[in-house]
Order: sequence, then structure tokens, then C-alpha cells
Amino acid sequence: MAKEQEDLGEVRNTRRGLLQGAGLTAALALLGGAMTPAQAAEAGPFPAHKRWKMVFVNHVTTNPFFVPTQYGIQDAAALLGFDYQWTGSANADVGEMVNAVNAAIAGKADAIAVPIVDPKAFDQPIRRALDAGIPVFAYNADAPRGSTNSRLAYIGQDLYLSGYQMGERIASLVDSGLVALFIATPGQLNIQPRLDGALDAIKKSGKKIDAQTIATGPTVNEELSKIKSFYLGHQDLKGMFAVDAGSTQGVAEVMKESNLPAKGVHGGGFDLLPRTIELIHDGFLDFTIDQQPYVQGFYTVLEAFMFLTSGGLVGPANINTGLKFVTKGSVEPYLNTQTRYEGKSTTPLIVPRTGPIQG
Amino acid sequence: MSEASEVLRGENITKRFGAVTALDGVTLTLKQGEILGILGDNGAGKSTLIKILTGFHQQSSGQLFVDTQETLFRSVDHARSLGIECVYQDLALANSLSIYHNMFLNREIIYRGPLGLLNNRAMRKRAAECLEEIGVQVPSVDLPVEQLSGGQRQAIAVARAVNSNAKILLLDEPLAAMGAREAGLIIDLILRLKEKGGLSIIMIMHNYAQTLDIADRVMLMQRGRVTYERDTADTSVAELMEIVRREYRDMRAPSP
Amino acid sequence: MSAGAKPAARPRRWPNALGRSSEIRILVVALILSAYFEMANHDFLLTGASLENLSQFIAPVAIIACGEIMLMIGGEIDLSAGMVFAFAPFIMHFANEAGLPAGLALLVGVLAAGLVGLINGAVTVYLRIPSFVTTLGTLFFVNGVTLTISRGTPVSPPGDANFAAFMGSWGYSEIIWAVAIAGVMHILLRHMRWGLHTIAAGANPLGASEAGIQIRHLKLGNFVIAALLAGFTGILEGFRITSIDPLAGGNQMMFLAVAAAVIGGTPLAGGSGTIIGGLIGAAVLGILNDGFTLIGINAFTFNMILGAAILAAMIFNIHAVRLVRKGAR
Repeated sequence: MAKEQEDLGEVRNTRRGLLQGAGLTAALALLGGAMTPAQAAEAGPFPAHKRWKMVFVNHVTTNPFFVPTQYGIQDAAALLGFDYQWTGSANADVGEMVNAVNAAIAGKADAIAVPIVDPKAFDQPIRRALDAGIPVFAYNADAPRGSTNSRLAYIGQDLYLSGYQMGERIASLVDSGLVALFIATPGQLNIQPRLDGALDAIKKSGKKIDAQTIATGPTVNEELSKIKSFYLGHQDLKGMFAVDAGSTQGVAEVMKESNLPAKGVHGGGFDLLPRTIELIHDGFLDFTIDQQPYVQGFYTVLEAFMFLTSGGLVGPANINTGLKFVTKGSVEPYLNTQTRYEGKSTTPLIVPRTGPIQG
Repeated sequence: MSEASEVLRGENITKRFGAVTALDGVTLTLKQGEILGILGDNGAGKSTLIKILTGFHQQSSGQLFVDTQETLFRSVDHARSLGIECVYQDLALANSLSIYHNMFLNREIIYRGPLGLLNNRAMRKRAAECLEEIGVQVPSVDLPVEQLSGGQRQAIAVARAVNSNAKILLLDEPLAAMGAREAGLIIDLILRLKEKGGLSIIMIMHNYAQTLDIADRVMLMQRGRVTYERDTADTSVAELMEIVRREYRDMRAPSP
Repeated sequence: MSAGAKPAARPRRWPNALGRSSEIRILVVALILSAYFEMANHDFLLTGASLENLSQFIAPVAIIACGEIMLMIGGEIDLSAGMVFAFAPFIMHFANEAGLPAGLALLVGVLAAGLVGLINGAVTVYLRIPSFVTTLGTLFFVNGVTLTISRGTPVSPPGDANFAAFMGSWGYSEIIWAVAIAGVMHILLRHMRWGLHTIAAGANPLGASEAGIQIRHLKLGNFVIAALLAGFTGILEGFRITSIDPLAGGNQMMFLAVAAAVIGGTPLAGGSGTIIGGLIGAAVLGILNDGFTLIGINAFTFNMILGAAILAAMIFNIHAVRLVRKGAR
């Protein structure tokens, strides 16, 4: 009798246990369904992983130059199962950027990417992130040579070299006279090296070129006004060149407004803002240099992915996102294709291409 | 007429502001313990006279005597140090500050020491005592004065002057913009102050009936001059009004 | 005088306290927001890193707000605070380069900020230019001076690691400075004649001068105080991010400080003010800023949401008073 009761008790317990277990499983299944679908992320051949969170800190969050970068981030994130956050400062305030990095560390981000626009300010925050086990990548701007900054890799253009090549191009276009070099925020590490490179190349050329540096400010409207005023005050200049996207667009606009190519004035700059490309096509700007912002976002996410997937064993490596001169002769395809990769449209596309590739 | 001593006298006070003569040879006397009412229209010079008596302005010519000693007021603080306090029309109260802070404004009690920290406790106590002495009732001396009624605010302003050991109290339109009930309370307050002794009061008024009720003597000012002066017992509202009417008639129809 | 007045009845029910004290109201808002963000993201508050991080959002705004509050009470404002913020650290840098030890250089930087405050005050008080206009002018002027002397290039702050840690680079250093300064300013405002007279002069300038208060001296002094605090904050921040940057602070910082003051209960029109409220107001702004960042709001929508949150906080603040007053009847 006692044993029967015991058995009964056991059966009851088991039943209770089973019921509880079933209930729990059901709850978990519901929960699992409620979680974001990429919980069982299908990143191609890679096994499922939790959705990693990558924080992209930026120094000019609302600047149109980085729109393709954000598309690159979005596409890579969708491909590989990341969530991303685009934050930082809208007007190059380093304090705000440092705050954003610290917030990412406190929020236990899985990876952080930040342009190192100040020679010292990011050393400690990046060190702290690495100490907390969060990989940090620099994109678009890197720490200066000799710096003790410990970022894992840099994804972007070789800034000094690009500036140097621009300087060589300037020396080939202008023989002598006043040449204006516009820079949005002097001293900032994503553009200052270009200026330094350009000035060095111009000096090396030996030509009698008077190169003046003018600061234009971090926002596009300011930049245009400053460039206009400078031109109006120095109408005998022989060339206007810029080292950042916004100032380049400004230079192009001023060249068009005052019809400067007809007066023998040359102009050029960096990056492929839509207006800049138009004006190159219309013949008002001699060249622009593409640093390929889309891949600055895309490759950075890939690097983070490799690091996280392999537990830090594979990668990261510096990636030079390239330096390409775009002139009237080669601008056509840029103008006609509206793709995400140049930031001109949101629709993803496969762009057809035929014929030989010009090296 | 009691032989009370003279506490304040102004002789032939003239005040010019540029081309404008605000006061033209005004003479007044204030005796110990009495209430003097000054009546007159706007522009008669009443406020200017008060400002001279309190040391805010200096007279262009004429002498002032305090307790029969000739004095020239160097500043408001100087006049205050001689016991002359004034309650202006705007009451000079800071709305967001408490009653006791207002009562001690610019004369705060501080702890000794380098910092000069405010001794709020002492000020609260002294303010409550003072209000009780002169019969002013408020719920708490911590209330900000903006929460008081018009009459209470006037009373606080008067209490502040009294609290500062005033011997001569000047009131600029104390009953202005007050309903009958509140005016009555202030009138009671003023009469109580007189009864307490030690205080002599000059009031600028524009209501003849109220003036004759409160004051011992009344003075009428017109266009910078004193045109009439009498003990209130010896005059009446009708008589005062007649004098004022005469001035209007003179001004409307120039004498041939 | 109320005939038959009742003895003082201090209201003890909390709704009345809510209605009467702006500091308590804004503290309630801060607590509600903290609870919300803590629920939305568990790393918001209760870990060391996050608390430190949050404190760094709050501290600089709080210190500058203290200075703005003293001015706002008198119906004035200092728009140049964000630019003095960037200016003072550079003066400190150049003083150090010229040979002064770090501590002395820091003092020189702060004094230079005070000089700007003196100019702000003198022009406003003696030339009778409205402070909005005066400080608008010094805003641009000081910014230009900063860019010129720095040639637009950031530099490193002076001194050794210990000095730097004390002056802002240790995680909690800034917030400790902020609380200490707020404490001193609170005592100045509520327990010293300077503060009391500032309030009186703000509430009733004519009356205060009739009472013999030297309004001009007060205003001048408060302009200097505001500038000193702004410059000092810039220096602290320079040590925190180990870089002195000509683009630092700026108008954003000034607007946040003024917003903190207003959210905390100091009206723009003047007449009254609360340092404690300003501190809590800065906390609210910091909580919003940090909280939304942690949740993962992106830069484009960030300001939209921040602005909406500030509006909501203010609406709650103001209407809570009305509701309480209605309920009390």
C-alpha cells in the first residue's frame, strides 16, 4: 500500500515535471519566435550566432559623404547578421565622439568602429574597449604615425599618399600663381594628412606656386560661403582645390558660378558627392578623388565579423580602400548609375559592365 | 497744540532736473510722533520731495534739518543711518523671496566669520517678532511675498521699515490700489504705529478723506510749491477740494 | 493680514510638495527616465562603466549651468559660454608652453576666461547693451580668437598623469568637481548675501536698488563667475579626452547648459533660480543623451527623439504643477 502510494507520488511528480517541462519549452519556443529572426542567422556557410551589435562612431554624422558608408554598413550587417548603430557628433566635437565610444563600451557592444580624427583623444577610450574585450577598428581616418593608439586595423584611404598625388596633379595643371587649398577642419586626422601631402608634392615640384590654406568649416553650407568669399577676394587665383567632400562641392559650385574654367582656372578635390560629379561632367571641375566610402563601411563590418567569428584568431588587417582619380573622361558611368554604392539611391543593384578594363 | 520737538525740517527746498523745476522753495516741518499727510496731483512734486528726504536725490538748494541739526544727506544709507526709512509705491519687495528675507533686505543678519553666511534662523525669529509687535498677521514668515495679498505686502513693506529702527517713516501712496477692507487694515496699522510711539510719519496720499482720518496735519502741493498747510482738525475735505478747483480754473482760463 | 489667521500649516502630503518645489518635480522626472532606460537596457545604470559614462555626460553641462543660472536670475544670459569653454584650455596650453608649471597655467587659463566675463559684464552693464547681444558678439569673437591662436589644430593638455587625473581624466573626477561646484554655488545663492541680492535684483531691480543693493556690481560679478565656470569646464573636458580641441564645446554645450537650467526650474525671464534644480536638469539631459545612445538610436533620428523627450519632460514639469494646484482646491 505504501509502495503504491509512493509510486503514485512518483508518477504525479513526473507528470508535474513533464507538464512543467512542456510549459517551459513552449514558453521558450514562443520567446524564441519572438526574438529577431537572425537568432538562427543564416550567414551563408557560417554557423548561427547571436546578432552582434556594432557601433559606428562618426565625426560628422549628418554629412552626405558618409551616406554610402552607411549603406555599406547596412548591407554587410544584413548579410552577416549584425545590428549597427550610427552615432557620434554632427560637428566634429571630439568630446561627443569620446562619449559615444564610452557609451558603446558600457552598452557592451560587440565591436566598435571610429575615425581617429584627433591624435590623442581616442587612445584611452580605445584601450578601454580592448581591455573590455571589444575589438575596435579605425575607418576613414587613422592615428598618426608614431602614435600609441591600439586600434586593431585601419580601413580607409592612405591619406597622405592621396594628398601627395593630388599635389602632383595640381603641379601638372598649374605652372605658377596663387592656388587655394580648402580644408574643412584643419588638424583633423582624416583630412589634414592630405593637405600635408599636397603641400609637400607642390613644394617638390619646384614650381612657383603660392599655395594658401583656408579652413571652411564642417558643414556644407558654411563651406560654400567661405569658398565664394575667398574667390571674390582673390580673383587672380589660378587654382582652387579641396581635401574634403563638402569643400570640393563648394569649389565646383564656385567654378561654375563664375565660369572659372573659361578663365583658365583649375579645380579639383575629393569624393563623389552627386553635385561634384555633375559638375565634373559639365566640365567645371578637373578631377575628384574617390576614396570609396561604401567599402569603408562594408569592409569594416566584414573585419569585425571575421574577428568575432574566429574568436580573434583571424584578421584584422589594414585595408586601403583606394585612391582613384575621376575626371571628365571617366565620370560618365558614375553619373548614369544610381546605386547604393555611390550613395545616390537606396535600391540595391547589380551594375552591368562590358568592355576592357582600363588599368 | 502740544510742544512736541521737531524731528525733521526742510527749508526752501528746490530741485531742478535740467530745465524742469520739480520743487520750488518747499518748506515743511515734522514734529515728533505726528502724522503729516501730503496731498497733490501727479507732477506736484510729492515723490521728488520724498526722494530728497530719503537721500535718494540731493536738493539743488535749500537746507535739511534732522533733530534741528543741519544735515546734507550723502546717500540713502546715510539717511537711513539717521533713522529715516521710506516705503515706496512699488514696495521694493522681491517676489520670489520670503517675507523675512524681504524684511532684512540689504540689512541681513549674518554669522560672524569670513564667509558672511546668512543667519536665516535669527532673521526668521526677529521678523516674526516684529510682525507680532505691530500686529501684522501672516501664516508664516517663510512664505514668498508673491503669495500675499496687496494689503499684506504693503504691511510687510511697512514692517521692514519699522524693523530697521526707523524714527521717521515716509510712506509713498500706502493705500494706492487698495480696496476698502485692505485699506482699513493698513490705516489701523499706521495708527497702531503712531500709538506705539517713537515714530513720526509722513504720508503721500491722494484720497482726501482717508488723509483727514489718519493725519494730524495736512499739506497740499501744487506744481512744486506748498500752497496750503493746516492741522486736519481745522480743515475739511470740501475746503481742500475748493483750493484744488481754484487751481484748475486758473489754469483753464488765464487771468486777464 | 488675514483676520483670524490660522497658524502656519506646512503641507505634508507629497502631491503638494510636488506642486511647490520644482527641484522635486524634476527629480521625479529624472527617476522615471532612469527607471525606463534601466529597463530598456540593463547596462544603463547599475554597472561601474555605465555610471562613470553617465556622469561624464552630466558633469560639464551641470557646471556651466550653475553660471548661467546666476545670470538668468537677473534676466541676463551668457551665450559665449561654449566658446569660452574652448578658449580657456588653449590659454592654459600657451601659458604652460611659455614656462609656467601646469597648475599655474591652469589658473591663467581660468583667469583668461574670467576676463571675457568681465568684458561681457562691462559692456552689458555700463554700455547698457542687452546681454543676449553682448554675449552673441563675444561668442563669435572668442571663437575666432581660439581658432587663430590654435591655428585650428588640437594640442595635448599639460602636466603629468596625476595632475591630469585630478583635473578630469580619472573617470569620476569631473562629476565630483561638478557636485562640489554646485554645492558651493548653492551656498552662494541661498546662504550668502551675494545670492540673495542677486535674486532680489532679478525679481525687482528698481526695488532692490531702492533698498541700496548695488545691482551693477552683482551683474558684473555674475558674468565673471559664469565665464570662469565655463572656462574651467573646458579645461576639465580637455583633460578628460586628453586633447585640447578648438572645436570643442561650442554652442551645443551652451544650449544644453541653458536647457538644464530651465528644465531645473530657473525661468528664462529671471527673478528666481535654483542651482540644485540645474544639477538635476543636467542629469535629465545626460540621462536622455546616454540612455538613447545605449538603446541604439541612430544619429539622424537622435536629435528628433532628444528634442521630443525634452519637451515631454518640460510639459510634465509644468503641468504637474497645474494638476496639483487644481487637485488641492
